[in-house]
Amino acid sequence: MRIQVTRTGGFAGIERHAELDTAGRPDAAEWQALAERALAAGRGTPPAGVPDGFGYEITVDGTTVYAADPGLTEDQRALVSRVLKEGA
Amino acid sequence: MTSFGGFQPVFCTIVPPHVLDKLAQNEDPRLADPARRTLQRDASARTRRHLAAVAGAAALTPRAGAEAGKPHRTIYDARNGTDLPGTKVRGEGDEPGSDATVNRAYTGLGATFELFLSAYRRDSIDGSGLALDATVHYDREYNNAFWDGEQMVFGDGDGEIFLDFTRSIDVIGHELAHGVTQYTANLTYYGQSGALNESLSDVFGSLVKQYSLGQSAAEADWLIGAELLAPRVTGKALRSMKEPGTAYDDDVLGKDPQPATMDDYVHTSRDNGGVHINSGIPNHAFYRAATVLGGNAWERAGQVWYDVLTGGELEQDARFTDFAALTVKAARERYGDGEELDAVSKAWEHVGVRTA
Repeated sequence: MRIQVTRTGGFAGIERHAELDTAGRPDAAEWQALAERALAAGRGTPPAGVPDGFGYEITVDGTTVYAADPGLTEDQRALVSRVLKEGA
Repeated sequence: MTSFGGFQPVFCTIVPPHVLDKLAQNEDPRLADPARRTLQRDASARTRRHLAAVAGAAALTPRAGAEAGKPHRTIYDARNGTDLPGTKVRGEGDEPGSDATVNRAYTGLGATFELFLSAYRRDSIDGSGLALDATVHYDREYNNAFWDGEQMVFGDGDGEIFLDFTRSIDVIGHELAHGVTQYTANLTYYGQSGALNESLSDVFGSLVKQYSLGQSAAEADWLIGAELLAPRVTGKALRSMKEPGTAYDDDVLGKDPQPATMDDYVHTSRDNGGVHINSGIPNHAFYRAATVLGGNAWERAGQVWYDVLTGGELEQDARFTDFAALTVKAARERYGDGEELDAVSKAWEHVGVRTA
């Protein structure tokens, strides 16, 4: 499973992108479950955000959903944090 | 890299928010603007519901024994979580505690309140003594600060790129100024009106810093977020109103993308249509007007910008030319055919924005 996260906007207006592939990872099942929950709670188009809030684009194996601060679900927040931190 | 603005095929069910989202991205403002306004009201209502759900509506409770002309500040601590507003840690009049972040937020709210009251006779962000709420320590290593429609929210930064977002008083002023805009012109947070919304927050954020330090336009650094960059970052701030596009040039952050004039206007659908990018143009116009006039920037240049923001003629979907024309009108109405009118007109001319 390939997970991509793009974060845009924010006070600085600086975009960040990271992705990772769960194949071969010992925690692949955990990643896949988290990604599926994050995807299920997402929207098909970018929601209107709040001033200076981050907007997120989450793509899992070609399916893309959108979310924006502060309206992320716990799963979405966990996923984007981990991918931006651990992904490349 | 995937394109944030490019349209992905959409296979969503037919529900109004998705349709509105799509309309809001339309290039035709006649379609996009009403949709965005509706979405913003919707987002604001959702925020209120969320706040009421998680906080028992504490953030909306009017304070008892409120006194006009005095700030009514409350600082909350999210304790590295994301529930808003979090736990109350300092109320109005309470002594400083041991958390420097809490104390900076409290002081920054006070400085912002003071500028609007002293310079423009505005009692808080709504003009009627609205309570000022801020949450610090939001999430973990969170590289941002934002205005959620009700309150300010500050992250600690990751320490690698950004430090604690309460470190820059102009950032605190910036977030509160979003509140002032919301209660006045309510500029739509997309495209040129969004860049004007952002620019007004930078202008009044910078003026909060200048006022609190007693700096004249000539003495001010005109930087936004100068205290936010971690030591390893190559740069001096997040934005420069004096020289847009020069604030940073770093391996990780990239280069400051702000234009100073319309010649370099950036067309993009990212960042809500480049609201933090093209704000460099009206930012630089304000810098030009203020420094040509000299003295304290919050007095004449700031007064003209404030008059436009609060005067009732600035439309929610205003473009740069609309805003510029109103500043010229405001300068003439307040100061006559003098140096103020000349400085404001030439500032917009310098950045390539028509005023008539």
